[in-house]
Amino acid sequence: MMDVCLWWRQPSRMVDNRRTKMSPNFRWLLSVLTLLHLIMQINSQKRGVLRDLKCTTNNLQVWDCAWKAPLGASHGTVNEVCIEDRFHSCHRLEKTNIKIPALSPGDHEVTINYLHGFESSPSKFILNEKNVSLIPDPPEILNLSADFPTSTLHLKWNDKGSAFPPHSDAVWEIKVLRKPSMELVKLMSFNTTLSGKDIVHHWNWTSDLPLECATHYVGIRRYIDCHHFSGRKEWSDWSLLKNISWTPNSETKAFPQDKVILVGSNITFCCVSQTKVLSGQIGKTFCPLIHLHGESVAIHIQNISVSENSGTNVVFTTEDNVYGTVVFAGYPPDVPQKLNCETHDLKEIICSWNPGKPTGLVGPRNTNYTLFESFSGKYVIFERFETLTNESYQLLFQMLPNQEIHNFTLTGRNPLGQAESTILVNITERVSPRTPTSLKVKDINSTVVTLSWHLPGNFAKINLLCQIEIYKDNSKQELRNVAIKGVEDSSYIVAVDKLNPYTIYTFRIRCSTETFWKWSKWSNEKQHLTVEAIPSKAPDTWREWSSDGKNLIIFWKPLPISEANGKILSYNVSCSSHEETQSLSEILDPQHKAEIQLDKNDYIISVVAKNSVGSSPPSKIASMEIPNDDLKVEQAVGTGKRILLTWHHDPNMTCDYVIKWCNSSRSEPCLMDWKKVPSNSTETVIESDQFQPGVRYNFFLYGCRNQGYQLLRSIIGYIEELAPIVAPNFTVEDTSADSILVKWEDIPVEELRGFLRGYLFYFQKGERDMPKMRSLESGHSDIKIKNITDISQKTLRIADLQGKTSYHLVLRAYTDGGLGPEKSMFVVTKENSVGLIIAILIPVAVAVMVGVVTSVLCYRKREWIKETFYPDIPNPENCKALQFQKSICEGSNALKTLEMNPCTPNNVEVLESRSIVPKIEDTEIISPVAECPEESEADPENHVVVSYCPPIIEEELANPAADEAGGTSQVVYIDIQSMYQPQAKPEEEADIEPVVVAAVAGYKPQMRLPINSAVEETAAEDDTDKTAGYRPQVNVNTWNLVSPDSPRSTDSNSEVVSFGSPCSINSRQFLIPPKDEDSPKSSGGGWSFTNFFQNKPND
Amino acid sequence: EDPQSDSSVSLLPHLEAKIRQTHSLARLLTKYAEQLLEEYVRHQGDPFGLPGFSPPRLPVAGLSAPAPTHAGLPVRERLRLDAAALDALPGLLDAVRRHQAELNPSAPRLLRRLEDAARQARALGAAVDTVLAALGALGARGPGPEPAAAAAATVTNTAAGIFSAKVLGLRVCGLYGEWVSRTEGDLGQLVPGGLA
Repeated sequence: MMDVCLWWRQPSRMVDNRRTKMSPNFRWLLSVLTLLHLIMQINSQKRGVLRDLKCTTNNLQVWDCAWKAPLGASHGTVNEVCIEDRFHSCHRLEKTNIKIPALSPGDHEVTINYLHGFESSPSKFILNEKNVSLIPDPPEILNLSADFPTSTLHLKWNDKGSAFPPHSDAVWEIKVLRKPSMELVKLMSFNTTLSGKDIVHHWNWTSDLPLECATHYVGIRRYIDCHHFSGRKEWSDWSLLKNISWTPNSETKAFPQDKVILVGSNITFCCVSQTKVLSGQIGKTFCPLIHLHGESVAIHIQNISVSENSGTNVVFTTEDNVYGTVVFAGYPPDVPQKLNCETHDLKEIICSWNPGKPTGLVGPRNTNYTLFESFSGKYVIFERFETLTNESYQLLFQMLPNQEIHNFTLTGRNPLGQAESTILVNITERVSPRTPTSLKVKDINSTVVTLSWHLPGNFAKINLLCQIEIYKDNSKQELRNVAIKGVEDSSYIVAVDKLNPYTIYTFRIRCSTETFWKWSKWSNEKQHLTVEAIPSKAPDTWREWSSDGKNLIIFWKPLPISEANGKILSYNVSCSSHEETQSLSEILDPQHKAEIQLDKNDYIISVVAKNSVGSSPPSKIASMEIPNDDLKVEQAVGTGKRILLTWHHDPNMTCDYVIKWCNSSRSEPCLMDWKKVPSNSTETVIESDQFQPGVRYNFFLYGCRNQGYQLLRSIIGYIEELAPIVAPNFTVEDTSADSILVKWEDIPVEELRGFLRGYLFYFQKGERDMPKMRSLESGHSDIKIKNITDISQKTLRIADLQGKTSYHLVLRAYTDGGLGPEKSMFVVTKENSVGLIIAILIPVAVAVMVGVVTSVLCYRKREWIKETFYPDIPNPENCKALQFQKSICEGSNALKTLEMNPCTPNNVEVLESRSIVPKIEDTEIISPVAECPEESEADPENHVVVSYCPPIIEEELANPAADEAGGTSQVVYIDIQSMYQPQAKPEEEADIEPVVVAAVAGYKPQMRLPINSAVEETAAEDDTDKTAGYRPQVNVNTWNLVSPDSPRSTDSNSEVVSFGSPCSINSRQFLIPPKDEDSPKSSGGGWSFTNFFQNKPND
Repeated sequence: EDPQSDSSVSLLPHLEAKIRQTHSLARLLTKYAEQLLEEYVRHQGDPFGLPGFSPPRLPVAGLSAPAPTHAGLPVRERLRLDAAALDALPGLLDAVRRHQAELNPSAPRLLRRLEDAARQARALGAAVDTVLAALGALGARGPGPEPAAAAAATVTNTAAGIFSAKVLGLRVCGLYGEWVSRTEGDLGQLVPGGLA
């Protein structure tokens, strides 16, 4: 809205400035007049009578000279004025002035003589033009009018130029006064040159205050500068003032009404009112009121901003009403931009432009455009109320015949101004044809058609350039340009050649002119099927013998559309030998094979394709193959859906090569497809959507020679190898105590899905109810793997197994595509019967031998034995030395003397290898007698000769931790009953070193200290009840009672092996009879020598 | 006359339906008239629409504002006045639309509403005429379209200035709302069940 409202200022200062500007002229004139006055004063005093002769002229034709009468002269005194001019005229008159014709240049003597009542004292003056002043008459205002809507005054006056010599300069000064104070609001001057005729001049002035707001007065004066006049020149008087006042009506009281002004300008609004005006506002901004006269007020708006479409409202509110007006602030039109003129048809020119910056004015104040063509003088007008946004304007101009060059001037006008833009065009070079219509296609022959279309326009004098787009399925579009002679509003026709027969084409066309300006839009598309031609090539043919070898099956491929040149209706198959040619049959499309019965003679089979126009060249192939004795089967693997086959060039093959392929699992005749390649090729890529990964295909490479084909290579291949989908079916052929013989079968080709590269055989101890092998490939230490890469191998013997052991066997096949699934089986090895026998016989034999030897020794040493163990005890009664009195000695053993027989201990030998080995310490052989000396002393009567001190062997673990870490020790006892040393598992043998062997002839200890106390405790608890009837000298809980045939838990790490019945330490006989119910039960069926004490090695 | 006595007139079913239909139309147009007034004010610029701005209620030739005594008249008489006003309004609204088309050519919604208002006023007037005819009171109707034409000429008189035309347009839109609302109220008196 308005920026500032200011008090309206009166232009008095401007008037002052004007006056100041004119002051030098005035000073000059004043100086001249003063000097002239002084000269005349001097002359009059010199002559003595008359004073102040002054001459002026208003038209340079007549001089009006006046003087002051002498003192005392009354009115009506007759004067005689004589002028020394050409005629020396004298005039009698009664007044003090005279009008005389203008005198010639130079001095003239003027004599004035008063005749009555005075003494004749003529006064003489020298009169020169230089002493004459030119003071023109005041100008006359012919008309003063006002244009109230624009607050403009129109002044009209006549310069009366005929009164002055032509080419005289005239200076005009106009003043505008405003009521009520008659202040000068405008004073301005301007120059004209007089023409010697009367000329009416105009002057317009726009008031900043609406003319309705106050009465305005106008006056004018002039100054004539005649170059030939040498006298003084002075301003005329002001003309009579003329005024302009507004006759108020009842409706409108706010001014100016609906004015259009430039954005940023200042404007004053007034309200003529009979009642008091309370406020004045523009939009919603109230402004201070300026008092004009009466109750009329004004507001001044400075730097007004652009208005909205409906304008800016200015409202004055009085005590009883509201008065308002609307102002439209906008911009003058911008220069039309991008003015462009072109024609679609050479009949009508379309000029378009961009209006540029918006003016902010709409409706009747919107910009009107006029397009003017200067050569023809024609114009068209563009009017629109709405202002288009982002849209170009355009005007149509009707072309004149035979006019090509056009000079257009586009002028935009609105109430604030105008702007224009021009363009010079040769319209024949600015042709943008309309869209071609009615596109039609007609056949000429199978490869040529004609296109016709309609193009409106007067193109008779120019050439057209048209572009034809040709498109057919599955190929790139083709563009062809054709030049055509233009005609007027007519159809055009062109021939399009080099087309394919029996092909659907899509045509469309667009046109321009040879002097290219723009293409037209594309016409609608038109589809067309060209007519047929005879097939250009023979069908691709192949043949196969039927499985029984009696029939020949001929295959051929349908011709591609580019070679069929039409719709193939049928195929003719014929057979020819040396003697005759026989047409066999006509096969209707779409059947593409024929079966004929032939003998094994060589025939040439011929196939011909036929369409409605004619037949193709024949395709010939021999019925018999050329034999090849040197045929190898090769393997190939492709990538994706393609496989590359290569071969060596064979110069004998003159026709071509054929590769046929089929799915190997299909029955004969096997043919999926075939492909022919030129004879100079040595490789080809076989590609088919039918190829599937994991399917075996057979490829056969044939070479052609004289229409006969010879099989050159046979290739089996996969497009992509996959892992087998089944596991090989395997069985256990044989099982022994330490080996298993496995045999498997081939995997069918369909399930192999690749070239078999080998088998992986896994085996591991395991029961059926145990979890399956986990992560076979992870290299578990218990899993043994055998990779069988010899795919011809069908059996495998697994050796070094343990007898009577369950094994988990797994077999998998693999290809380059990966490992197939697994098939597993559980097998238990047989027990070792020989070992069992040996295990029984050897102890028996040893026992017998020991018995025999003992018996022999005892027999032969019986004296010594008797002497040693059962010596004859002399009867003390017979001993005289010790003979007591019978009465005293009888019944009192205490009184007997102890016989001092030496006590011979048994020998115990201890072998000790390392300090960490459980050491047998304090091997103390203590006689029971020695253990209880007090007893001996306390019971001296029980004097017994002890011949044997039973040994007590106490084993202690010097370093149990070290023992667990690996340095286990074992004491091996040679039992006199069993006489054999138990054999540990092979894998355990390494753990039982060093060995501490304690062997005492004739003695076997009944116990052995355990290494793993936890296990032994468990074992001991379990067997406590079973050992009833005997209590050894040490803690029986530490025993692990395991009989030689009892099962051995492989779960236990205990190295304790105890066998046999505990022995009495006082005798060499088993204290516990070897009853079955007392022996630990055997859970295993058989046992071998190596696992004598084992039942489940893994337990 | 007691206005309630008019509602006691026994109405035929089809007349009752027509009254209800016309009453519904009047109620709908009352809402539209409010929207029209808002839209009109919005496009006239400040101070139109400002709270303190109250332009004089200029007299519109051929169309008077509903008189305060209107409610005291018999319902048939009121409907006759309503019908007369609705008869004058389309011409005035058309004139306002033409003026606004020059002043606000880029305000299609305002122009469309003005056009719709003229058409709807005409339709409502015809419907009220039908009701009056059914009530047997059509003959004594108010002034014809001539004064309306004169009023339209007043609106489009550009000599009066654009500001005056804006104020007059505002007045016409206001009168349209007043008369439509008044018609709704008068028809409500006829609707069985009382004022709707």
